[in-house]
Amino acid sequence: MTTHGFSQAHDHGHGHGHVSLQYQPALPLSRGKLCLWLFLSTEIMFFAGLIGTYIVLRFGAPENTWPAPHDVHLAEWIGAVNTFVLLMSSVTIVLCLEASKNNQAGLAKAWLLATFVLGSVFLGVKAYEYSQKFSHGIYPAQPHSLMYEKADIYYVQAVRQSLAPRYSNLLALQGQLQQEGKALSADQEERLKLYDNLLNNLVKWTELKAARSTDNLERQLAMNHLAEAIYPLRELGEAGHAQEHHYVEMLGEEERVLKREIGLVGKRADEVKSERQAKASELAAIQGDLERLQADRDKLQMQLESLQKPSESPEPAPEAALSSPLGDHLVVLQPGNQPEDPPTEAPANPEIDRLTSEIQALDEEITPKQEQLTALSSEVGLLDESIAAVDAEVKTLEGRLGILPLLKEAAHGLNHHYPDLQLPMMIPSGNMWASTYFLMTGFHAIHVLVGLIAFVLILPLTLTANRSHIIENTGLYWHFVDLVWIFLFPLLYLF
Amino acid sequence: MPQFTTMANHGTSSRHAPGHAHHGGVGKYIVVFLALCGLTAISVFVGSNQYLRIHAPATMWATMMAVSCAKASLVILFFMHILWEANWKYVLTVPASMMSVFLVLMLVPDIGRRTLNYSAERWYHAAEPLAVLDTLTRRKLPT
Repeated sequence: MTTHGFSQAHDHGHGHGHVSLQYQPALPLSRGKLCLWLFLSTEIMFFAGLIGTYIVLRFGAPENTWPAPHDVHLAEWIGAVNTFVLLMSSVTIVLCLEASKNNQAGLAKAWLLATFVLGSVFLGVKAYEYSQKFSHGIYPAQPHSLMYEKADIYYVQAVRQSLAPRYSNLLALQGQLQQEGKALSADQEERLKLYDNLLNNLVKWTELKAARSTDNLERQLAMNHLAEAIYPLRELGEAGHAQEHHYVEMLGEEERVLKREIGLVGKRADEVKSERQAKASELAAIQGDLERLQADRDKLQMQLESLQKPSESPEPAPEAALSSPLGDHLVVLQPGNQPEDPPTEAPANPEIDRLTSEIQALDEEITPKQEQLTALSSEVGLLDESIAAVDAEVKTLEGRLGILPLLKEAAHGLNHHYPDLQLPMMIPSGNMWASTYFLMTGFHAIHVLVGLIAFVLILPLTLTANRSHIIENTGLYWHFVDLVWIFLFPLLYLF
Repeated sequence: MPQFTTMANHGTSSRHAPGHAHHGGVGKYIVVFLALCGLTAISVFVGSNQYLRIHAPATMWATMMAVSCAKASLVILFFMHILWEANWKYVLTVPASMMSVFLVLMLVPDIGRRTLNYSAERWYHAAEPLAVLDTLTRRKLPT
């Protein structure tokens, strides 16, 4: 059909009432503009991919975890100002094109310069925003980023690891200076005290709670408390003030509870201590008794030994066995042996017998006393242990009590109160936020930068009508940059 | 439709007569600029409205996206002269826009719905919902 129609048209030529088809060698636009539009269509897909990924990541994040703009030091009004700046630059570049088309080269140059300045302002504001993020430890990736997804033991550990080296360095410096007969500066002294307080009271308390408590909720509460003390996530305006007020109130309540607890634990400590004292005095009494008994026994033993002394040299046992049948002879023949026999034979020497029985009686008294002594001393040892435990508990509670005024003073966050403290922060989904924020605004900023370079290259030209296509193409690119920002602004600052 | 053919003719001819600025015009651009500023103000107002944020966040987001689309349309139509371009504009923009939509849709199952498939272990390291945190940290201490 078409070939037939075509040949017909060819055969009969024109002017026979047929539809005359106009021959188009290409798309009805200049090659430069076509290339730019092709490029822009790839750019549409590029930024749609980035923005779409952001939306999908954001709404796919665990529910209610995406940080609010002020949580990550993002000011809406700065974004709005930048939007206004880019919109203005879009108008100026369009006016530049108009002027150029009208052959007003000077005016065109002025508008182009205005566009360049506005673009630079946008980048400057962006750089300021980035520096704000960096100074608060908000980086796109881990080595610098201070953001943690949740307040768990890893978070507590990170806080300790952030404080410990600074504390030990200052301590080492203090030691070194002391050797040289110098001291830390007042500022350093204050820092040392702060680190000590934070490390040994705030962090340690949290660690103890997290390690010892059997109640999961209490453990989580302790760790959340640490995170809130360092970097509270609060709402803006009145609601945020109310939350901060509530937080201070809660600290006051904790103070009361702690004081009561310290009182109770102190009472327990007193009880244990008085119990220990009673036991100790009992122990001392028994020890005295024992010593006395032992002394008595020693005396008796000595008496006994002195009585037995003369008969010490010969072996008593075989003699004794023989003594009874030959007793008379021996007594007659060897009068020196006389005292040797009585200990074995009861009636022989009543004095020795008495002493032995007395010693035996004493021994019977000593043995249970000794047993009592061992039991008592182990009891005292146990009491000592519990006293140490109670003392440690009191110390922990007092440490916690000691840091509460500081927490009250820094109710808007320790990181905010001490800007150079830079402790790890708990910002749920903060890392994902930072990744997407820096990626999108970064790519956009690169595009702005490329646009600025293009403007710099065009600025020296005389922007007469025959060069208006350059302005047109650069302008198209610049409008696209504005277009991307039109979506980025609400998505990043207002969503 | 006939309008497009004339525009097409014009598209080719405008290169030969660049000085001729029959469409656009400073007044129109200023009006568009003011409209863009007004739309931005609507976005900012909606975004900073705490009532909407708490009670109807979906409405807030939808409004802001609609405003952004309106702004984008204004920029494309007037500043980028698409309104006065020939039909080639559809050839270049429509496929790219469709590709963008598919790009985003393809991310939904694996990325958008990722937490639905999180294991218990994965949740140990996932972000904690702020609402839960609030009720926890603001729980009154036992007295």
